[in-house]
Amino acid sequence: MKINTWFGVLEIGSKGEVLASDSFPKDIRELALRSLSLRDSRQNLPPEGFDLKAAAIECKFVDSLSEYYSLLHEVTLEAAKHQVSEALTPDQRIVQAVEALDDINETTNSLSERLFEWYGGYFPESGLNGEALALFIVKYGSRENVAPDDPLYLKARDSMGAKLEAADEVLLKGFAENVCSLYERRKQIEAYIESSMEILAPNLTITAGPMLGARLISIAGSLEKLAAFPSSTIQVIGASKALFKHLRERAPSPKHGIIYSHPLVNTSPWWVRGKVARALAAKLSLAARIDFYSGKIDPSLPEKLEEKIQKIRALNPRPPQKRPESGAKPKKKRRK
Amino acid sequence: MTDVRKLSDGIFEVTKGKKQLATKNLDLGKTVYGEKLIPVEGVEYRTWDPRRSKLGAMVLKKFNIPLKEDSKVLYLGAASGTTVSHVSDIVSEGAVYAVEFAPRSMRDFIGLASRRKNIFPLLADAGKPDSYAHIVEPVDLIFQDVAQPNQAEIAARNAARFLNEGGHLLLSIKARSIDTAANPKEVFTEEVKKLEQAFEPRFEILMARDLMPYHEDHLGVLAKLKE
Repeated sequence: MKINTWFGVLEIGSKGEVLASDSFPKDIRELALRSLSLRDSRQNLPPEGFDLKAAAIECKFVDSLSEYYSLLHEVTLEAAKHQVSEALTPDQRIVQAVEALDDINETTNSLSERLFEWYGGYFPESGLNGEALALFIVKYGSRENVAPDDPLYLKARDSMGAKLEAADEVLLKGFAENVCSLYERRKQIEAYIESSMEILAPNLTITAGPMLGARLISIAGSLEKLAAFPSSTIQVIGASKALFKHLRERAPSPKHGIIYSHPLVNTSPWWVRGKVARALAAKLSLAARIDFYSGKIDPSLPEKLEEKIQKIRALNPRPPQKRPESGAKPKKKRRK
Repeated sequence: MTDVRKLSDGIFEVTKGKKQLATKNLDLGKTVYGEKLIPVEGVEYRTWDPRRSKLGAMVLKKFNIPLKEDSKVLYLGAASGTTVSHVSDIVSEGAVYAVEFAPRSMRDFIGLASRRKNIFPLLADAGKPDSYAHIVEPVDLIFQDVAQPNQAEIAARNAARFLNEGGHLLLSIKARSIDTAANPKEVFTEEVKKLEQAFEPRFEILMARDLMPYHEDHLGVLAKLKE
């Protein structure tokens, strides 16, 4: 019987004795790569309970057990390192980018709120916030420096705000510069996600939009996992708290998770949102599968979705009548 | 005053102020996850946090840990190697084949594995033992902590291929990863029944005990192959 092992191909007899052997050269890198290719072949597997180390000594691949183990240690380590370096696939890059974007959003929000509070003491009438305020501070610093042609000139001149001392101005300007650069970084990451999504998952991008698509991949963990999800799961991705509350207790089931941010869902009237979310999730799951398994663009996908949504809206033009409270509610089955 | 008491082969209880579980550090001077190193009479002991390790919790729950200095272990679900490092301490003359599926965890694990000669890292799916059959030798213990819904089946498949006659299976079952909504006790009964009957080979359960208070909704199981 022929068997494949990490150190060579063996011909063994019925009792597991080695009849003939063809050992590989003792090169760690090469042994590691061979071992990885054997991982998927699943052919000529050693019989159950076969003692590999004894066979390796028997066929003179190694002289001693300690040599066997130290070589195997190096080879498995090399193979694992190789696999780890291969693991950073394009969809993993998108996942990282989406997570970085979320971190940046959180940070910019709290920092620009701080800037608003802080600078508000010196120029409360500005009416600016967020990026506009940060840009304003970077440009002028103290309100005394506002140029006469600036629309805020009059407000700045007559402001009740305190005078901004030089030391504070330096501090605030520096702070504002940091906030501006975070806004810059956010745009850069968004652009990166958009362009990578078009290449990695074109169908998901045209059906969901690049950001929503990227978020779905990020929460699922990879495009492969997203493609394997049933559409009912995609429908409630991002609503896990509500979903598990529903499964454990008597809470209503969530109608949508993050796909709520899709314009087709959040512009629909409330009584069809669940149906729209279901139709959208179905198409998203198709899109993810096409992207993962074939990669070809199917432009009919968003059209069909639009058609379906129109149908749903046409069938449900008015909100459902609330049922009159008629005594006892129907008892729901409670899962333990 | 530091006092050392042997609990079983390679596993100790070191008393320095308070009682702590520990193993003899194989990788002198290095810690893995922020645990303490306690030198006693020329031997360096490394404390073992039962709240971060199912195996550590099993020791304290009076499980008989079938490990000796030269044992061969197949460890399924190595994660970043917290527990594997202690197993590697215990089987200082043996071998630990550590299977982990997530490249991210493996990334952290590789540093540890490269410093300990008795660890053989395998980035593979524990549900497909065929994919590492060309590397792993027959073992004395399969330790499994994979948090997969089909963990009984995974255990059986690996035992069929790699477990020695007279070898043991140590299993940590996480109720929440099998059914998030069901009652943990029912899940445990169900899973134990699966180990005993559902797959080939069948197991004989030697001990099954929950891992409270160290891990919530976890069941530790010690089993051997049914004759």
